[in-house]
Amino acid sequence: MKRLFATVVPFILFVATMMARVVPHAANGAVPLTQRLKEALPGDTILVSGEVREGTLTIDRPMALIGAAGAVIDGDDAGDVVVITADDVTVQGFTVRGSRISDMHDNAGIKVLDRARAHIVDNFLDGCFFGIYLSGSRDAVVQGNRVVGHPQRENRMGNGIHLWHCHNVRILDNLVRDHRDGIYFEFVTDTRIERNKSLHNLRYGLHFMFSNRNAYSYNRFQDNGAGVAVMYSHHMEMRHNRFLSNRGASSYGLLLKEINDGVLEDNEFADNTTGLLVDGCNRFRIVDNSFRANGWALRLFANATACVITRNLFVGNTFDLSTNGDLMLNDINGNYWDRYVGYDLDRDGYGDVPYRPLGFFGLLVERMPYAMVFSRSLLVALLDQAERLIPTLTPLAMKDDHPLMRMPNG
Amino acid sequence: MIKVFKYTLIDLARNRAMLGYALLLLLVSEGLFQLEGDPMKAFLGLVQVVIALVPLIAMLFTIVYGYDVLEFTQLLAVQPIGRSAILGGQVLALSVSLLLAQGFGLGLPLLVHFPTRVALVLTVTGSALVLVFSALGTLIALSQREKARGVGIGLGVWFVFVLVYDALLMWLMFALSDRPIEPWVVPLAALDPIDLARIMVMLEVDLAAMMGYSGALYKEFFGSTGGMAVALGTLMLWIVVPIAFAFRTFRGKDL
Repeated sequence: MKRLFATVVPFILFVATMMARVVPHAANGAVPLTQRLKEALPGDTILVSGEVREGTLTIDRPMALIGAAGAVIDGDDAGDVVVITADDVTVQGFTVRGSRISDMHDNAGIKVLDRARAHIVDNFLDGCFFGIYLSGSRDAVVQGNRVVGHPQRENRMGNGIHLWHCHNVRILDNLVRDHRDGIYFEFVTDTRIERNKSLHNLRYGLHFMFSNRNAYSYNRFQDNGAGVAVMYSHHMEMRHNRFLSNRGASSYGLLLKEINDGVLEDNEFADNTTGLLVDGCNRFRIVDNSFRANGWALRLFANATACVITRNLFVGNTFDLSTNGDLMLNDINGNYWDRYVGYDLDRDGYGDVPYRPLGFFGLLVERMPYAMVFSRSLLVALLDQAERLIPTLTPLAMKDDHPLMRMPNG
Repeated sequence: MIKVFKYTLIDLARNRAMLGYALLLLLVSEGLFQLEGDPMKAFLGLVQVVIALVPLIAMLFTIVYGYDVLEFTQLLAVQPIGRSAILGGQVLALSVSLLLAQGFGLGLPLLVHFPTRVALVLTVTGSALVLVFSALGTLIALSQREKARGVGIGLGVWFVFVLVYDALLMWLMFALSDRPIEPWVVPLAALDPIDLARIMVMLEVDLAAMMGYSGALYKEFFGSTGGMAVALGTLMLWIVVPIAFAFRTFRGKDL
């Protein structure tokens, strides 16, 4: 009997899976989608067409909700639009809108609460307060979504993709724009963020707080209030990203605050007011990045220690480097600086005299920002040259002992 | 006036110094673009040339030429030609030939290697600088009888505008750094034609840094049409006022 049971139960389960139905649902038909969701069996697929307007939809069992071309779910300003409270749920192909803007609740277009393996794919989140909101979730995939806020109501927008206490999520190929933070991470671990575009957000393109062991690569962050902020985290990997045109008084391409043991490799920083701001980081590797046409390419605060800065490219920046103290406990070596005018007698590709990236003028502007009027004047050129020859004001350790003579390839 | 203009221009076209200047500019510009891999870097070098060298040469050339053609001017003065027509023709011819030399030596390489908005701004402001310092040179040449004195004063004026004024302003900033002097720094700097030209170029080149702390300040001053009008008006004044004084001097001058 027991043996028979052992054979039959898996069989029944198998059949049940095979019998998982695909239920077509036309909006404004006889049966509302809410009821279909209640009647659905685990593993069902509901194929929705037309515009659903039934307030908040809750998906509480493993299933797939697929939108046909042009399918819309409108939350009608009731609160959240789609809430997922089960494992293994897929939401794909919808235009989602109408999550209510609120000061009390983080109403989202698609929200996942404490569940695993949600797949949120190819949706268009149109002017939602929060776009995609994952709370306490693991092993989820958020891929190919367009999350667009209201440009006019930007100051009332929540975050585009918001993760809170999540683990092992993949955020791939999304476009986020006109939200508060494009992508926001708090207490998120072991997550990968790849090939996303985060543009025109009010605050950060991508924002990490207390989030460890995450990697982001091949993303583009452009025209945000500030590009990317990584704060109070460790073991972060950042590769092949582009930080572009993040301009403003306190704006930067990338802020690293209190980060330990990370890698920043092969990234591009261009046209930012500050390219990279390093504040209180330890053992961080900054390698093979290019800094072009930034106001300040790199601001390295004196509280950063044991960071390695090598093989980076500094071209056409107003200031290559600035700092806020006399202490320099980092290793700056073998970078390419377009202002370097040294020589290489032994032909090893490295200049024979050190390059001092911090000039007199940089220090002056640090103290008196309005001294910017003297930029590129003959006076400043002379004073800078004097300071480079006989450094008196700039930290002695702030130098590249082996500056590259030629631009590294690529 | 047209005739004076024509003959002065023909004379200038055969002037070796003028040709040399045009060729030198071309050599420097081309050299910078050939030597530097990055056109932006070459351009920034050219900015230094335009800001420091172009005003100096425009002024010195005008002064020296003013003394060199003195005999010809005397000859013209005994003819039935008004004095304003004589000076007008000469000033116009000088300005045109200096601008042509600059267009050839600077504008052409920029057009070939770096056809951008910034390059256009540099060309325009550079031309304005040529006119300003040519005007100043005319005034100096007319108000001094001795050539050596004229050249010396010219050098002094150039030195003040290119370096001393900035140094004074910077000293003032240090001295008054605990007072709210920010709103005054930009307008004060803009009084100096070289600084003004430099700031206009810089607003294009260093825009990212300009958007920093003091960005609002610059935007306030130059971003508004009023500010831009003030900037251009100041440059115009630097051209018109010396020329007006030069005409006055020349009319009453005992040649």
